[in-house]
Amino acid sequence: MAAADDTATNDDAGAARNDTSGDGNTVDERLAHRGPIQQLLTRPEIGALMGAVGVWVLFWLVSAPFGTVGGTANFLDVAAYLGLMAVPVALLMIGGEFDLSSGAMTGATAIIAILLANDINGAGLGLHIAVPLSLAFALAIGWFNGTVVEKTSLPSFIVTLGTFFMLIGAKLGFSKLFTNKVLVEGLDEAEGYDFWNGIFGAEWLRNGHVWDVRRWSGLWLVRDEVWAALLICGILALLVGVFELTYARRSTTNVGSGLVALVGAAAALVGFVVLLSGDGSASNWAGGLLVAAGVLVGVAGWCGFRYESPDRSDRGAEAGWWRYVAAGLAAVAVAMIVAAVMNSENSSQLGFLGGPFGKAVFAIGIAVVGVLAVLAALGRVTPGYPAIGAVLVAVPSISFLVTVQAARVILFGGLAMLGVSLLWSGARRVKPSVVISLAISVVIGILAFFIQSEAGAAGSRKIRVELFTVLLLVALLLAASAVARYLSSARATAPPPPQFGRWIQLCAVVGVAATLIFGVLELVDGDGLLYALLTGIAKGGLAAFVVYAAVTVAYTLFTRDEGVGRALVTVGIGAVLLSVVARLLFVTGAELDAICTVGTDGELRCPQTQFGVVVLSFVVFAAVGSWVLMRTQFGSWIMAVGGNKDAARSVGVPAARTKTTLFMLVSGAAWITGMLIAFRLTAVQADVGDGNEFRYIIVAVVGGNLLTGGYGSALGAGIGALIWGMISQGIGFAQWNSDWRFLVLGALLLVAVLVNNYVRGRAEKVR
Amino acid sequence: MSDHFLELRNISKFYGNIIALTGVSTTVNPGEVTCILGDNGAGKSTFIKILAGVHQHDEGEVLIEGEPVKFNSPREALARGIATVYQDLAMVPLMSVWRNFFLGAEPKTGVWPFRQIDIDGAKRIAKEEMAKMGIDIRDTEQSVGTLSGGERQSVAIARASYFGARVLILDEPTSALGVKQSGVVLRRIVEARDQGLAVIFITHNPNHAFPVGDRFVILQRGQSLGNWAKEELSQAELTRLMAGGAELEELQHELAQAGAD
Repeated sequence: MAAADDTATNDDAGAARNDTSGDGNTVDERLAHRGPIQQLLTRPEIGALMGAVGVWVLFWLVSAPFGTVGGTANFLDVAAYLGLMAVPVALLMIGGEFDLSSGAMTGATAIIAILLANDINGAGLGLHIAVPLSLAFALAIGWFNGTVVEKTSLPSFIVTLGTFFMLIGAKLGFSKLFTNKVLVEGLDEAEGYDFWNGIFGAEWLRNGHVWDVRRWSGLWLVRDEVWAALLICGILALLVGVFELTYARRSTTNVGSGLVALVGAAAALVGFVVLLSGDGSASNWAGGLLVAAGVLVGVAGWCGFRYESPDRSDRGAEAGWWRYVAAGLAAVAVAMIVAAVMNSENSSQLGFLGGPFGKAVFAIGIAVVGVLAVLAALGRVTPGYPAIGAVLVAVPSISFLVTVQAARVILFGGLAMLGVSLLWSGARRVKPSVVISLAISVVIGILAFFIQSEAGAAGSRKIRVELFTVLLLVALLLAASAVARYLSSARATAPPPPQFGRWIQLCAVVGVAATLIFGVLELVDGDGLLYALLTGIAKGGLAAFVVYAAVTVAYTLFTRDEGVGRALVTVGIGAVLLSVVARLLFVTGAELDAICTVGTDGELRCPQTQFGVVVLSFVVFAAVGSWVLMRTQFGSWIMAVGGNKDAARSVGVPAARTKTTLFMLVSGAAWITGMLIAFRLTAVQADVGDGNEFRYIIVAVVGGNLLTGGYGSALGAGIGALIWGMISQGIGFAQWNSDWRFLVLGALLLVAVLVNNYVRGRAEKVR
Repeated sequence: MSDHFLELRNISKFYGNIIALTGVSTTVNPGEVTCILGDNGAGKSTFIKILAGVHQHDEGEVLIEGEPVKFNSPREALARGIATVYQDLAMVPLMSVWRNFFLGAEPKTGVWPFRQIDIDGAKRIAKEEMAKMGIDIRDTEQSVGTLSGGERQSVAIARASYFGARVLILDEPTSALGVKQSGVVLRRIVEARDQGLAVIFITHNPNHAFPVGDRFVILQRGQSLGNWAKEELSQAELTRLMAGGAELEELQHELAQAGAD
């Protein structure tokens, strides 16, 4: 009876909804529409993503070469060798299994290929046979692992541990048997080396092509303008896209507000020009204020023009918000004082806790942690106390680790972040929170100007200009979203899909045509097949993206299509990424002059940065892996066999085949990695790759993959690899003592797991 | 001669020298609920596993529309329209409702090698099918682990009926549920029956079986005590047969005496 009533009322509600929306898009009225930000926060890789951004910013601040092309190529290389394996290992982990032989396998394929090519009784098979044979070997071992695990139901941990030791033994044994050494060499003498080196040993010399531009055009590349414009357009598209997804469209157009938006945009543009043209404090202030005012007026106008006004009856406020605001302001003030007091020129090791006093604190801290941990385990104290003890240990540890400058950055950054987050907490307690949100953005803006002026002439251009700009941008974004939130009411339902389906086909046609044209042009230039292919795809993709962006913007401005939000977000992210690529791949004239030397013969010699095929493979693996996991049937099956194998099998998922395929995927990736190592080094130690299997697993866990299987993200594993690469290389760039690297990496692992755990808990609650 | 959709004749199953099931016969028809009752160890699980294709019967005949069959795998049973909703529900708790709903038979779109799951379609169908079962799921993106036991049963039943099941076997669907949730699941059983499915409802609770069942088979220690239509049996009789009859009467007798003293 009750159930019948339920259905009846629901049907009524459904009918009423369909009458209003008219498109039959069934959305449940009990489900509050979650904006794009909330949806993002439930993804498993969000913790890793935030960590990656944090680590990048940290090293970008403390070391000069980290943010340059060379530094990027350096950490990307380390990350790519790791991530290429971590992505399939993550998929296997989601499928509920481990492969401990994956690290040893990378070296094994390299050794097999070289031995087979050269050293069988002095007469080798040549690489055309040896390379495919090593792939067959890798796949066979993968198949063996998977089949044994499946047939015997033994834990994969044990089975692959067996293969792991067998591979290590075989590598050493065969190396010595055939070469009497633990080093297998001579790949470059094997038959067919040139062909295979063109594939696995290919490197992209980044600078070569930009110099050409300079020569034939006689102009410096206007990199800064290009990337700044792309960045601003991208952020704008992203912002409007998020607004579209979050706020409800109004039914009647408000022309007056539209004009206000135009005036605001014009003012912002003028302000931006002022900001760019002058380099003094006064013009910075004037330009910055003009930009800020223009953007805010523009956002206000746009919201009035496009979105429904909110119901203002909900003005409730919770008590105590002002405490957070006061604490936040105090933290920011302390941060500024700390930065002013500590000497920014001092790059010596931080010693103030390194003496007897520091050692005493360190020892006491460790003792306290131990005692508290025991007490916590016994249930006598809450787990928070051991955390406090851990901080006691961490502070002197950091003092052993870093320079005065780095400590200053950490303290200042930490305090400023604490202040801002306290302000944020205060803002969340007051509805509507527009005033405090604006206050936060003002505080961030002041921080930006403080950093800029305090860095002064002595500070690097990076701090003065780039950090200043980024902070202003953040402040502006916060203020803009606060204004929009105040002026617009949230959508009740998810927006429908966009209406420009056939234009997507146009994008595809343009992309394919451009790929072909540019590819053929490069081929005619004689740049080699791989290079022509990559350049063609890159330029074709760019052309398709431009068409897509144009269609999206046109639909946003000239139609009433409600589905443009997601497309705008895509365009925005694309433009921001392009701007970063433009920033990293191209150089300005000044940078060129700084690193190039004129040789005795009058030729200009410039150091070149190399991106190996490994980076490309890594990116492809991460992208394809994510797609497979999220969008394909096989991905669903992976999650199912890892989450509940018996259930998956009983509904008809071929569990054994799925798992065996995953093992073969891992060993196939190990083969690619092995070939990349072999062709980079041409000589391979018998123990290469051993022990890396744990790094793959660690990186996958950092990326939000569950050790117990059933849940995770391939993209997350890629981001985890990036974090690992950035930390292990960044410590060198920052000239910190690299002995402490594993301390940092271990701490990172713990933090990542804790954050992931928290995010997952939240995700389940939100769902 | 058979006008029944599914008919079992003297099914027996031996595990080595252990007789798990012997001489069980019953019929299953569309729009009817056949209840299999029995205490622990009575052979209920063996019975289901034979029908679901996990085990094969050693003696007797299974007839589908008069044709003798022997299933070698769960897939074969599924292909003949026999779907089983197990006690542990065969769901993956960390995966979303729509992924669980379509697990193993995901609807696909696009051309190879870009074939992917039709996610929007899958979500829509899952929501519609659940609505047909009378369950209005809020968000099909919700993970199954967050659903209540009754809701999970409903997802499993809706899934089976969407994928063309003609016989739905429910393995102790109410055993782990509270009173209210059990009521919800019993209602689903009636709804599935009304949609024209043949339902085989396995339980050890005669109070759950009697209101929804059209035909009852009682198993005890691997043997069939009989096969009754609803009109041949009262609830009290069913309870008595089910509880081992005489033993329970004796106990009642003893208790009554104890009370008198």
